[in-house]
Amino acid sequence: MNRIAIKMLVGDVAKYFGILLGITFAALLITQQSSIFVGLMSRTYAFVADTSLPDIWVTDPEVKYIDELEPMQSTALDRVRGVPDVQWAVPMYKAVLRGRLQNGTFRSVIVVGLDDATLIGGPPKMVEGDLGDLRRADGVILDVVSARTRLARYSAYDAQGNPAKDAERIPMAVGDTLQINDRRAVVVGLCEVTRTFQSQPVIYTTYTRALSFAPPERKQMSLILAKAADGVDPTALSDRITATTSLRARTAEQMQWDTILYYLKNTGIPINFGIAVLLGFLVGVAIAGQTFYNFTLDNLRYFGALKAMGGSTWLLLRMVLLQALLAGAIGYGLGVGLAALFGIQAGGTELAFRMTWHIPAISAAAVALICALSSLVSMIKVIRLEPAVVFRG
Amino acid sequence: MMIVRLILLPALSLGGISLAAWSVHKGDEQPKPTPGLTTPAVPPFPSRVSATGVVEASTRNVGLGVARPGLVAALPHDIGSDVTKGDLLLQIDDRDLRAQLAIRKADLASAEQELARLVALPRAEDLAPLAAAVAQRRAQLTDSQNLLRLATAVGDPRAISREELTRRESAVAVAQATLAAAEAELERVEVGAWAPDLAIARARVDAARAGVASVEAELQQLQVTAPFDGKVLQVNVRVGEYAAAGPSAEPAIVLGAVRTLHVRADIDEMDVWRLRPEAPARAFVRGNPKLSAPLRFVAVEPLMIPKRSLSGSSREQVDTRVLQVLYALDPTALPVQVGQLVDVFVESLNAPGATDTPAEGTPK
Amino acid sequence: MAEAKAFAVRTHGVTKVFGRGAAAVHALRGIELEVPWGELVMLVGPSGCGKTTLISILAGILDRTEGECQVLGVDPQHLRQSTRTRWRGENVGFVFQQFNLIPALTAAENVAVPLLLLGHPRRKAIAAAEAQLERVGIADKRKVRPTQLSGGQQQRVAIARALVHEPRFVVCDEPTSALDADNGQIVMGLLAEIAMRGDRALVVVTHDARIFHFADRIVRMDDGLVAGVRTQTADRTLKLHSHQP
Repeated sequence: MNRIAIKMLVGDVAKYFGILLGITFAALLITQQSSIFVGLMSRTYAFVADTSLPDIWVTDPEVKYIDELEPMQSTALDRVRGVPDVQWAVPMYKAVLRGRLQNGTFRSVIVVGLDDATLIGGPPKMVEGDLGDLRRADGVILDVVSARTRLARYSAYDAQGNPAKDAERIPMAVGDTLQINDRRAVVVGLCEVTRTFQSQPVIYTTYTRALSFAPPERKQMSLILAKAADGVDPTALSDRITATTSLRARTAEQMQWDTILYYLKNTGIPINFGIAVLLGFLVGVAIAGQTFYNFTLDNLRYFGALKAMGGSTWLLLRMVLLQALLAGAIGYGLGVGLAALFGIQAGGTELAFRMTWHIPAISAAAVALICALSSLVSMIKVIRLEPAVVFRG
Repeated sequence: MMIVRLILLPALSLGGISLAAWSVHKGDEQPKPTPGLTTPAVPPFPSRVSATGVVEASTRNVGLGVARPGLVAALPHDIGSDVTKGDLLLQIDDRDLRAQLAIRKADLASAEQELARLVALPRAEDLAPLAAAVAQRRAQLTDSQNLLRLATAVGDPRAISREELTRRESAVAVAQATLAAAEAELERVEVGAWAPDLAIARARVDAARAGVASVEAELQQLQVTAPFDGKVLQVNVRVGEYAAAGPSAEPAIVLGAVRTLHVRADIDEMDVWRLRPEAPARAFVRGNPKLSAPLRFVAVEPLMIPKRSLSGSSREQVDTRVLQVLYALDPTALPVQVGQLVDVFVESLNAPGATDTPAEGTPK
Repeated sequence: MAEAKAFAVRTHGVTKVFGRGAAAVHALRGIELEVPWGELVMLVGPSGCGKTTLISILAGILDRTEGECQVLGVDPQHLRQSTRTRWRGENVGFVFQQFNLIPALTAAENVAVPLLLLGHPRRKAIAAAEAQLERVGIADKRKVRPTQLSGGQQQRVAIARALVHEPRFVVCDEPTSALDADNGQIVMGLLAEIAMRGDRALVVVTHDARIFHFADRIVRMDDGLVAGVRTQTADRTLKLHSHQP
């Protein structure tokens, strides 16, 4: 009878496609919107994720997330180094400064200063040049996407200073110079970084050079990157650093979550995406539920006939469930597949897209719920079905 | 159509799920940790105070200034050369003073000559005529006495007129006076220079000599010499440049004794209570964690000072105080230069936040 | 008991009331009916006289309000729900006015449904269904879907389905009313020819007078009561219009 149930489901092309369309659309919408949401959120902590060598990020106690850093005194570094089980700790400078391009335009850039001695905390992947090139005079490393886009210049400009119509875009290349707070900087390398939330260009340089770029301030050390000794739990160690140094130590993962939660709490992103996901769910329930219900309704006379001919209610329920399950599974697969395809298409563009395993799981649950809800109505119909209806024309 | 419905769609669906799984897998890939060029030093002590130290000469780095401003005429020792105490390190142009010295020396010579002249009086040439004059006067006296004696010896007052006798007696008196005058003149000349004149001349010589000494002292001040044995660490002027003097001027030459080096470690005020100065300490060269050497405690600077930034920024303001601890470092043990920053770890008994310190209210 | 055994169906004073109180509809008011083994009984009468209600009760898919009813020696209403479903599946064959063939299934699959419901393996069920289709004369249509069959062919499939599991009691609800006269004759002829056996009873609800001659017994109903029973010698020849001069 399972086979008959399946044949009944796929037999009616219009209804079958209708059900699949609804579930596919719901799965697609839920998966895709959630993925964009997660992608966007993961961009907020992209910097922390990119800098994966240190286990522990130490900041001023008032710092809430990675994009708003209150600098510390430079002696804080020695305090952290003095904590037992800290294998090493290096300073890092990170701030948004104003960069001036060769054509005179300004751009806000994220300047990251790496510890001079070790250059720890560098970009995840070099495209051109080498991290060691930072030791060259005035050397900086640009992220390659910004070098091609935001920091690029055009071959010609019109009277208003906008790029002329047929102007070619000339990406920044190794050897080009720019000015950061009126200090000269020479591009010595290009790197690949995960795009940040605000998509600002990222410029890596050494710590002392970053300080020379930075406006004079009382305190200048933005971050301390620390590594736990082998076999030491970073979480416990970061708690200990927090307790003993009157600084705020977070593991990389905690720092990522801090940042995500800050954005969740303080921006409209979760609400906007939550609405989109909910809408996808509702649309899915509406379309899939409606078509599935119609499908069951249309088949009710056959179910009645089956019931009359000796089919038990339980058998009929199993058939309905099987149909819902099958439609749900196929629609779900198509939906997440389309969403994944969308994500692959979107890879390497400004669009944030990241599918973690949670997302297919959540949309699977949502699709299951949609199927359960829509089949529940049908099942109630089947349970209440009097076989006698078969004799009523 | 049945194939589409029964096989193609489920196949597509399976494909979609695999695609999603692949997407998930790919998205989960963590970026590989980017290593730095080197790893930082690993602390050698489980419980320690960490500090930033700067390498300096055991005499500290002494900035030698010039006493008098002027153009640099000579720098006989290059940067890095070892010098011994008293070696000339820098010569300021001294041409005008040398000219002055010549004048002063001439003055002195002149005064000395004058004194010598006075000391050398009487001139022999002056004495001879005077002695001759005395002799002449004496001869004349003898002559006149003889004439008188002749007159008196006659005994005949008539033989000799009274007048003649008086005349002869006068002639003796005149001759006596003339002799006395000549003798007095000879005596005056024979005595030589007058004592006050001599005193004046001597004073003049002294004054001239003092003048020479003064210029010579000034000339001395145009030379910078090594106050101790050491190494020339820095030379901030070049021959021909104007070397400024004064409290705010940049030292012309930095000199230090580097036979043993010192490491001046800044201990954060938060960590001072944990510091045991005599505890084992180790310095690590930045950029190569394998290079490290033990430190020997020298002294603690008793006065805590505001932290001086080592970041190179000139407008640094900080509100942290640091305790400076001096350690000695064998310069052969580490390839370090004076002025280099090193990471210093000092073993401590207490971890930060340890509670085994005497706390208030703890019953004994 | 011996008497009871002579009849496939026997009712006494069966009533059925739909609804309650003022809105109550008395569909059956005391039906006395006997269907002997081996007979084709037709229930006839005007619309709303209770024919459909009665066969529903006889087939065990509707509970009566009062009275007694023995079908194939049991009272279906006294069986537990699951047992009754099973009993129905094993013993009752159904032919519907609208055929109720599942459009997504082929003719053979549709015919096999009662066997599949009884848990027969699919292969055997399909083989039996194909044999049954051959008996109703449309073996060549076994792979065809009902939507591609004519009304007469569909009803033949329905008859094959009603008989494939060898039921002892077959109920037919207006089997010819959706068909033209000739097809009605053919279907009825088939039904009479292959369904009629000594150990089987057929009850056909109809108001199609053109097929009355197939019946052994015609029970006329009116307003929830049996108005009259006419026993006749069945004439099972086809009265085809197209063959008449």
